[in-house]
Amino acid sequence: MPVTGTATRSSLWREDGSTSMRALGYFIGAFAMALILGIGSAWYMIERGSILTTTRIGPWKSWLSEGNPNTDPYTRAHLARSGRLPLTSTAARYFVANTDSGGSSLSAACEYSIVGAPLNARWWSIALYNESGSLIANLSKRYSFNSEEAIRRADGSFHINLSHTARPENWLPSGKDPGRRLTLVLRVYGARDTDISGSGQIPPESLPTIERIRCE
Amino acid sequence: MRVRLPGLYIALGLVLAGLIHVIAVLTLPLLAPRDAHARLAALGPANTMIQLPAGTPGRQVMPMMAPDVRYAVCRFDLSNGPVRLRALIPNDLWLIGFYTPLGENFYAVIGADMKRPEVDLIIAAKDQSVAEVGVDSTEAFDNVVVVSSPVTEGIALIRAPLAGPSRSAEAERALKATYCGPHASRTIPSGS
Repeated sequence: MPVTGTATRSSLWREDGSTSMRALGYFIGAFAMALILGIGSAWYMIERGSILTTTRIGPWKSWLSEGNPNTDPYTRAHLARSGRLPLTSTAARYFVANTDSGGSSLSAACEYSIVGAPLNARWWSIALYNESGSLIANLSKRYSFNSEEAIRRADGSFHINLSHTARPENWLPSGKDPGRRLTLVLRVYGARDTDISGSGQIPPESLPTIERIRCE
Repeated sequence: MRVRLPGLYIALGLVLAGLIHVIAVLTLPLLAPRDAHARLAALGPANTMIQLPAGTPGRQVMPMMAPDVRYAVCRFDLSNGPVRLRALIPNDLWLIGFYTPLGENFYAVIGADMKRPEVDLIIAAKDQSVAEVGVDSTEAFDNVVVVSSPVTEGIALIRAPLAGPSRSAEAERALKATYCGPHASRTIPSGS
């Protein structure tokens, strides 16, 4: 089998006219592959992050050195593309979730329960955005819950109900469009636990969980 | 030899892919047209404190701004000399971040770390000296912090996180009282 295979191929290669055509084809193919691979991998590592730049805790993703002047090129590109002005990790930590704790994309067609323990920080806030980072219009003008206003239970924990219809306790409305994808941003200002470099540390177990209750 | 030729092209493609990857990552920050500096430049002139409207759906200067934080921004331009920033911070939640146009946060004032509520800063480029200005008022100068900026044009952003529900009017009033402008001490007559 391998013998016939080789024979077929070398007989093709011996046809002089098609050799250069084939070489050109390979060259174009190699170039196209390089473009797709190069740009694709760059886009992925800038947009989604990688193990080099981000930390993932459950559904939450955090860019470790976002805003830091000495950051890596991926984080720098991510920041420039985002158009945001984040504080560095010594002043604030940001956690972004596009999925629930089970790994499914956050959707306005579903209802979620965000449950967390009090965070050891001066101020924190959980805000809801659509896919492009805009707030979602709703009649009660409720776009976020922060440490000062979220209603706590007797044990100190908070339960935020993310739903398009009114819910008791802390209701975060996800708007009328059921096709909408959602993004949650948890910002933590002045975390009281810091590491040796002064970066705010949020214990992984203290980050809120996002449980899907039901979908339409 | 000939059979290995496609392998050679694959190797060539991979090397080229690596090169394109590196070039794309390095040039992207420079090509991002809607970075924060461009968005803020559309709001008004440099060296002036501008209060950003509270984030509401469809009205956000920057994406993913906190709806429960009030912001004021001063786009500083040091080409005509240092810039002064003054603020009276009403609570320890306030944060003042200094940024390059690419969004690098090179300095931050953290409200909780301040011993006094008065923040008085001079933003100066690395090659600008501020020692000679304000020589006549040394005692007032003691409280002034000089922020050495790595860039001539940058952004100072004040964050006023809301300390509770219905506290936004209070935060907006306090932000309105902040000042950003050219540090033109030399034009002020001494002894006045």
